[in-house]
Amino acid sequence: MELLQTTHAAIALLLAGDEALWGIIWISVKVCFLALMLAAPPAVLMGFALGNYKFPGRRVLIVLIQTLLALPTVVIGLLLYMLLSRQGPFGGMHLLFTQEAMIVGQAVLAFPILAALTLSAVQGADRRAVETARTLGAGRLRETVTMLLEVRFAVMAAMISGFGRVISEIGCAMMVGGNIAGVTRNITTAIALETSKGEFVQGIALGIVLVLIALAINFGLALMQGRGEQR
Amino acid sequence: MSMPGNQVPLLAVRGLKKHFDQRLILNVDRLALERGQSYLITGSNGAGKTTLLRVLAGLEPAEIDSLAYEGVSVDTGDVVRQLAPRVIYLHQQPYLFNTSVAANIMFGLKANGVPRHLHKTLLEEALAWAGVQHVAHVSPHKLSGGERQRVALARAKVLNPAILLLDEPTANLDEDARQQVNHLIRQMCDNNHCVVIATHDPELIALPSAVVLRLHHAMLTGG
Repeated sequence: MELLQTTHAAIALLLAGDEALWGIIWISVKVCFLALMLAAPPAVLMGFALGNYKFPGRRVLIVLIQTLLALPTVVIGLLLYMLLSRQGPFGGMHLLFTQEAMIVGQAVLAFPILAALTLSAVQGADRRAVETARTLGAGRLRETVTMLLEVRFAVMAAMISGFGRVISEIGCAMMVGGNIAGVTRNITTAIALETSKGEFVQGIALGIVLVLIALAINFGLALMQGRGEQR
Repeated sequence: MSMPGNQVPLLAVRGLKKHFDQRLILNVDRLALERGQSYLITGSNGAGKTTLLRVLAGLEPAEIDSLAYEGVSVDTGDVVRQLAPRVIYLHQQPYLFNTSVAANIMFGLKANGVPRHLHKTLLEEALAWAGVQHVAHVSPHKLSGGERQRVALARAKVLNPAILLLDEPTANLDEDARQQVNHLIRQMCDNNHCVVIATHDPELIALPSAVVLRLHHAMLTGG
């Protein structure tokens, strides 16, 4: 019964446009989006290179990326914390407990997902596509761009999956963001804090938002997969 | 196979060998393709017809003693970059880029630096030639098999290739589509292109003037 009342209160809080609540949601979305923008270009290019070219160290890189996929977010957070703390090599940049630190952390988290999914998209791409581009006289650059365009729906699906991973993680955001109200407090760190204080209304409201985001992400993925299968 | 008079062949290959694992798939001592001549490469399924066309297009590596285009030696390590788009290969089921029919036909024009002001005219000519104006802005996945084959032919023809390598172009097509595709291929042959067609059944390709080469036990005979 209490859960039902709390949920009602949470929905009311969301609908009332509570400034603190929507501020937290905005920080989450903004940090995740910028992290993806930072990670996507190098990750997609690396996935493409790993899928399309044979070079020394390729297999090692693939194993490393797959290992990073399984790395707990809190470990990435710990490593970044040590790098960014005052005694660390990048301490002078004063990035610890800022949104920039969260963006870097989440970019590191998104990188292996984007690279691994782009790699599998390129490996699964129709071999005839690259051959057709070549026989029609495409140079290496146009060939690369053409291949990326041919797998664009899979790459977009990778971006959506990456967004799903970073918006729902807490370990890295907590460690390098520090959960500062109005600055680095995002959906997941706020839920943890509110729950620890025994206040569930805001936590449940933010949980509802996370579930809605997950739902939107999965609809997006289904749409991308549908597009990709049309050929 | 013949080299009449002193005319330099368009493409001359000597000592072509291709192995898959230990098995010798192709063992072609000498092959010369002449301008304006069409060739039918026949042979049973698995005889290596597709592989031969792919090797000639530079899409498949092979051991080649010498390869010359119009008498000029070609580096056998990077054939496709040197010969494309003068030599164009069409897959049995052509791949159309996931854009539009018009964008597919324009692909080669852009890739080869054809001046932009010519694109529109060349596109319209190619669409009309292949009879696919009505699907110019349609996504390729909505086309029938015959339409796909015609769009792929138009996409190649717009680049005016000297040699067109066609892999079973009329297989899996119904009678009407086959006739349309055959008509386009005949036009390419009449226009002084060198068309090389791999087919398991020469009856499907109505080209009475074509030189018929038979691929059997990795060797090419006839001509």
